[in-house]
Amino acid sequence: MESDFEKLGPTPKPSLTSLRDWDMKLLSRYKPFYAPVCDQCCLCTYGKCDLTRGKKGACGIQIHTQQARTVLLACTIGAATHTAHARHLVDHLIQKYGSDYPIALGNEVNVEMPHARTVVGIKPRTLADLGYICGYVEQQLTHCLSAVSTGQEANYLDFESKAFHAGMLDHVAMEAADMAQIVTYNFPKGDAKAPLTHIGTGVLDLAKPVILSIGHNVADSVEIIDYMEKHNLGHPSETVEVAGLCCTAQDMTRYHEQAKIIGPMSHELRFIRSGISDVLVIDEQCINTGSLVEAQAVKTPVLAVSEKACYGLPDLTERKVEETVEALTTYRIPGALVLDPEKVGAIATLVALKTASTRQKYKVIPDSSTLSRLAASCSECGKCERECPINLPIAEAVYAAKRGDLSKLSQIYDLCLGCARCENGCVHNVPVHSLIVGAAENKFRAMKHMLRVGRGPILDTEIREVGAPIVFGEIPGVVAYVGCANFPNGGLEVGKMAETFLKRRYIVLTSGCSAMSIAEYQSDGGRCGGPGLYEEYPGSFEGGGLVNLGSCVANAHITGACMKIANIYARRPLRGNFEEIADYTLMRIGACGIAWGAMSQKAASIATGCNRLGIPVILGPQGSKYRRLFLGRRDDGKSFDVIDARSGEKSSAVAQPEHLLYAAETMEEAIVLTAKLCIRPNDTTKGRMIKLTHFVDLSKRIYGRLPDDLSLYVRTEADIPITFKDEIVDFLEDKDWRPSQTPSIDPTLLPRLVRGS
Amino acid sequence: MTAVVPWETGNVFGPKTAVSIKGDAVGRLMKAAKRPLLVVGAKILEEEVDGSSMLSYVVDLSNSGQIPVVATAHTLKPLSNAGIQPALMGLVELTDRLRDSGWSLDGKGPHDLIIFAGITYRLQSQMLSTLKHFATHLKTVSLDRYYQPNADFSFPNLEQNVWIENLQKIIQALKPQ
Repeated sequence: MESDFEKLGPTPKPSLTSLRDWDMKLLSRYKPFYAPVCDQCCLCTYGKCDLTRGKKGACGIQIHTQQARTVLLACTIGAATHTAHARHLVDHLIQKYGSDYPIALGNEVNVEMPHARTVVGIKPRTLADLGYICGYVEQQLTHCLSAVSTGQEANYLDFESKAFHAGMLDHVAMEAADMAQIVTYNFPKGDAKAPLTHIGTGVLDLAKPVILSIGHNVADSVEIIDYMEKHNLGHPSETVEVAGLCCTAQDMTRYHEQAKIIGPMSHELRFIRSGISDVLVIDEQCINTGSLVEAQAVKTPVLAVSEKACYGLPDLTERKVEETVEALTTYRIPGALVLDPEKVGAIATLVALKTASTRQKYKVIPDSSTLSRLAASCSECGKCERECPINLPIAEAVYAAKRGDLSKLSQIYDLCLGCARCENGCVHNVPVHSLIVGAAENKFRAMKHMLRVGRGPILDTEIREVGAPIVFGEIPGVVAYVGCANFPNGGLEVGKMAETFLKRRYIVLTSGCSAMSIAEYQSDGGRCGGPGLYEEYPGSFEGGGLVNLGSCVANAHITGACMKIANIYARRPLRGNFEEIADYTLMRIGACGIAWGAMSQKAASIATGCNRLGIPVILGPQGSKYRRLFLGRRDDGKSFDVIDARSGEKSSAVAQPEHLLYAAETMEEAIVLTAKLCIRPNDTTKGRMIKLTHFVDLSKRIYGRLPDDLSLYVRTEADIPITFKDEIVDFLEDKDWRPSQTPSIDPTLLPRLVRGS
Repeated sequence: MTAVVPWETGNVFGPKTAVSIKGDAVGRLMKAAKRPLLVVGAKILEEEVDGSSMLSYVVDLSNSGQIPVVATAHTLKPLSNAGIQPALMGLVELTDRLRDSGWSLDGKGPHDLIIFAGITYRLQSQMLSTLKHFATHLKTVSLDRYYQPNADFSFPNLEQNVWIENLQKIIQALKPQ
């Protein structure tokens, strides 16, 4: 590795407290807002302790501190999950390709791993260097977890500082994981013209055997594709369909575009139950833990391939491939744990080939008369509806199905999260989720869309092109739709939001399940018919570009792009210099993340990592269940003061940006807020005018009037959007608005960056 | 008093849960409040009775009790079109302000009763949790159909027709006698 590529900054390999001062600056602007999910603590044998309304637990903890502690736990879980993923990939790939395998992304990427440079302080050269990065992160996460122990950390702000640390580390680990697979598997290396690939529950040729992989770790799926090519079975889909769900699917198509994506996590259960898969490979993360039982019901053999998710299956790693294939295809065992990716490649293929012909009778979705018969035992108690996490009107739909009307169930299909909690509530064992899928069989079979294969990092050359317009505000924002599929109103809302900002020529980034949901949206608002957004918009990092970066671990390229703007465009050194880079991002880069369906601890840590870097994130309403948000108060203007680095004078930058982590009630609120959270103190007058044009226009469309807080964002008359000038001038007069006497020219929160200090 | 199971059966928080209440009692509560605030969310636009939006009930309620309204999410436009002049705030933002005992919508002294209507169940539950723990200076009541354990007062889980009857009782109680 190289470690002298730049002057060393103040915090290489930061410890738990190295960036505490920066965290406290953020936390004084954006104070933690807690919404407890549980009023008690039950983590030790003193408890359960009742912490309601200021009561203390036996260890002395209070409810707000307990929330912060739980958030740290969640962020550490999330970061550890990605780190373990990275560690597995790196170790596996070192074994396969050697520790000296180079980290090389081609001529257009010089800043190959901005997180490694900024946080760890190194310029990685080989796979072995990625192992070194994982080692640092593993050590720090152990410290983070230890702080959660009873009788350890006691201050809620210090818990939050450590949660920031875990979030930042998460991005370092994600970058290492994605880089390992990009370079060794020859994934696209920042290719804006990465191919389009198929996505949907209806993309498979059901006459062929089907291998389905679920999870996040692509190593085993790669071996399946390699095995097929090596044994004259052709590429994926030629003789055997190779498909995936969730992030593994994204990465399979980065390896081979003929692999197919079934969809986001919400399609998992419905697809397993359809019986279409002849073998199911579960690797790691986001797997429905009932998968094994569900697969057994439709005679789909299961291969568990990760030490982290063994599912109680017998470990047959050391057995001969033929023996394992025989055990699975004769159903002597429902599944096997096989911890050797090469063997998994062979076993999965051979099992699919052998079972495909005998499994046809299980590849059935019940017809309408069967569905009505299944619904007939419903006693109309309504408990199914009370189990639904998003309160879908399931009960009335099941009652209608009893009478032979399946239309209401079919409508629910579009919004359903696919968790099947509805079935838990039913005392008569009505298979409610299966009814929903069965009623929508036509949609299930017809669902075919196109998604642009995940391209990986943003090129240095692209950063040079757009660095200035982003920093000055002339590209109104960089908006990233990321995260899971726990959507409040179905995945179409993500597509609608993305389209709103694409049309306005924001740069729209996406990854993971959100990228898949965007593929399901057509610009006419429907699910089928015309071209999708990936076909309409280019995959380049430019205004109006729709950039699918890849799986969840590719989220590191979003934060990485901000670091690269600071480095490549503004020449700020990255090496061990996190605080300055975060300050630059917060003050200058109009980026905003939207995790509309955020569900997992991983999403919590990713968002928290974005926050430490100065990037605001908007969650769906369910995001309030993460227990903590970071909210600014525009009525406390002083909390937003910045320093002008040229003069050292204080100046006002109220609500720029206003919040760091927010849960929006509806898509409409999220849309207006997205435009607002892209406003930055450093915007030029032209840039601010462009940003305000969008903020005002969206406010008028959705709320029917100018934003109440508009006067905060108009620094001088030159900022006023021409389109709404008269109306805004009148509005400002009513508000007794005066031009700012001290607009910030070179804003910063760091006194040490003042010239001559 | 019989304990009410939350609408989402897993939504069990802790020892302090909402008092189950009926419409006429809510009316009295609102009438007795000195600085009430009605918070109206986007679910109000989805819920329909006999083909008409629930919005009309909220408008009646606000008018009957002369209660100021905050529109959250995208309810501002339809509420304004229905003839009332609500303030606009995000629900999370409003809840954050309400933690502050010195804050009020009009700057004329703190609120004492916050009435929630038409807010998506899980978000409302979380915001009521925040207020339960960190805004002990005020009382909260949920007017939605489904029991919200984190409020101080909530309807139990109601059939739609019973719910409407209860809302009408509130309106009746608020009207000048």
